[in-house]
Amino acid sequence: MASTKEIKRTAEETAQLSWYQRLFVPEVIRGLAVTTRHFLRNLFGGRDPSPDFAYRKGSLGNQVATLQYPEERAPYPVGYRGTHRLVPREDGKPRCVACYMCATICPAQCIYIEAGEYEDDPIEKYPTVFVIDQLRCVVCGLCVEACPKDAIRMDTYQHTPPEYTREGFVYPIERLLKGPAVSHPSDPWLRRKDSAQPEDQHFPLHGVAEHSTEPVEPREPYPVGPNHPAPPVFTEEEVRKASGS
Amino acid sequence: MRAAFISALIVGLCALIAAVLALFYIAAGALGVVTGALFDKPYVGVAVANTITLLLVLVMVIASLLTVAERKWSALMQDRIGPNRARLGLPGLRDKALLGIPHFLADGIKMLTKEDFVPAHASGFLYTLAPMLAFGTAFVLFAVVPVAPTVPASEIPLVSGLAASLGVDGFFPVSLQVAPGYDPGVLFIFAFAGIAVFGTALAGWASNNRLALLGGLRGSSQMVAYEIALGMSLVGLMMIFQTLQLEVMTEGQNRGLFGGILPAWGIFLQPIGFILYFTASFAELKRPPFDAPEGESEIVGYFVEYSGMRFGLFMISEFIGTVVLGGVVSALFLGGYHLPFPPAWGVEEWLRATLGDFGLAVVLGTNFVLKVIVLCWLQLAIRWTMPRFRFDKIQSLGWKILLPAALANIAVTAVLLLADPSLELLAIVGLAEILFIVGLTALYPKKQPTSLVLPGRMMAGGTGHH
Repeated sequence: MASTKEIKRTAEETAQLSWYQRLFVPEVIRGLAVTTRHFLRNLFGGRDPSPDFAYRKGSLGNQVATLQYPEERAPYPVGYRGTHRLVPREDGKPRCVACYMCATICPAQCIYIEAGEYEDDPIEKYPTVFVIDQLRCVVCGLCVEACPKDAIRMDTYQHTPPEYTREGFVYPIERLLKGPAVSHPSDPWLRRKDSAQPEDQHFPLHGVAEHSTEPVEPREPYPVGPNHPAPPVFTEEEVRKASGS
Repeated sequence: MRAAFISALIVGLCALIAAVLALFYIAAGALGVVTGALFDKPYVGVAVANTITLLLVLVMVIASLLTVAERKWSALMQDRIGPNRARLGLPGLRDKALLGIPHFLADGIKMLTKEDFVPAHASGFLYTLAPMLAFGTAFVLFAVVPVAPTVPASEIPLVSGLAASLGVDGFFPVSLQVAPGYDPGVLFIFAFAGIAVFGTALAGWASNNRLALLGGLRGSSQMVAYEIALGMSLVGLMMIFQTLQLEVMTEGQNRGLFGGILPAWGIFLQPIGFILYFTASFAELKRPPFDAPEGESEIVGYFVEYSGMRFGLFMISEFIGTVVLGGVVSALFLGGYHLPFPPAWGVEEWLRATLGDFGLAVVLGTNFVLKVIVLCWLQLAIRWTMPRFRFDKIQSLGWKILLPAALANIAVTAVLLLADPSLELLAIVGLAEILFIVGLTALYPKKQPTSLVLPGRMMAGGTGHH
């Protein structure tokens, strides 16, 4: 390796100050110029309060990336596993058929179910007790995967809110059964010849992506902003030079 | 939108300062008339009124607002928002951050209500004396700083009427300066700035704490190293204006050079002196980057044993020092209360003709306060730009660079003054120095971020991307 000597010299050079830097005053002035530029931009520039703080518009001038948390909340990414909900049917009853699949697969054993029976419903079983202990939950999402009836989802886009007691984290069915109703054409209580797939208001991509052959438009690539500089592009020559070969 | 709001705020602030200064003039004039009527000494009343208005109102308000400003301005410099969570629980103000100003009220309440703790083995009297010394000496420095020019009392509205009704001669001078015509002037500043270190040293010693003692020692040695350079850096100005009084120097700077194109400001005549004085004062104030006496990560500081308002006095004395330094520098080097226009333009004469003597005085005083605020901002900007000096570097900067440079500055200034007493040669050399520094700053190529190169792999430096 012929480059060892050169490398040593480079490292020494980087550690030493040039005569210009030893003069100190011009370098202080340059530093002050940087500080002042930031100060003036942030003082006079308008602040984009968009909660998607990583992609705020820098064109207003302000470079502050602070998220004022309780007032501005960063949106969770698509597919975020939030707290669970039991999906209701159109008539408000839970879609759950108390099959115990979720409780069985749960690695944290945080789901407890007691089953009851409907007299007059095509689905006979339903949960009389459905409890999730959010303190035990490891948010793995296996219950959602295991459910054969699309009856439990983690699409609330909320994390577990704080509570004052441990008991508060044990969510009963009243607290879990919420959100928009979901129906599928295959649902026994809907199975008719002319039934079409109803639209899922809460999660419009759901039906499209899983049950349709229509292409889904990809999310637009984020613009390059002050907080997301473009990745550097190295020419082949630079790479060769830097790697010393 | 935000730019318009901030600009309106700044303009409103200027108007507020002007109104407050007008009130100060009226208060000084009125008290002068009263003491003139009582025992025929109007200057006593003027001095008492100025002590209260300038020291207790102007300096204290600016210094205590600087505690918020330091946090808020540093936040802006670092792309943050800064403190905005303290709110006043009054109707209509509950959801307003009010620029973080409630934080300063909360700080004050916290300081005053905290336990006043004295360590068991501390030396009681000296322990109590130290914060007073630190605070009082920083405070008293402003006495010689001229805030606004001298006006005859008869020119001030309300005061002339009062003088007539009390039968007092209304031609005594009123200026916004606590001690006008005080001969020692600049020496007074050196003397009391020198006493300020007793606060630091005594606090370190009386606390009976090793870390505090180390902090006090560092403070004293730093003071010794920089006091000489501090004094020497102003000798040039003393020779130029042939006085020690700040108000006389201020008036001297209103003179025009080259036929009135260039005001004879200290910074044009003594740019090196300006840099030296500013640097040495920074070190005297123990402000970062010269904050060796206090170091959160190593020795905590000379005030480690102090709590509550005793600590608060140390802290506020630092900010008072900032304000005083701003005042002294603007009086010595930036033309004091004079407007930043060439004297040939006749701006001040025009203002005098339009607004009268009193209006001109208020405008000039506002100009001075704005200069002080800008200089305070500059000091904070330097503090948030530069990394901290190592202690031995502080010593070598003081002894090996500032002191010889100050001596050389004296010699060069003396020679130039002898060669050309009209100051124009001095101004040419000074402008050349400024041009040299500015040109070097602008033209010398920026040092690119260096990459550490190792055989076989590349570590990208600077951008953080690999």
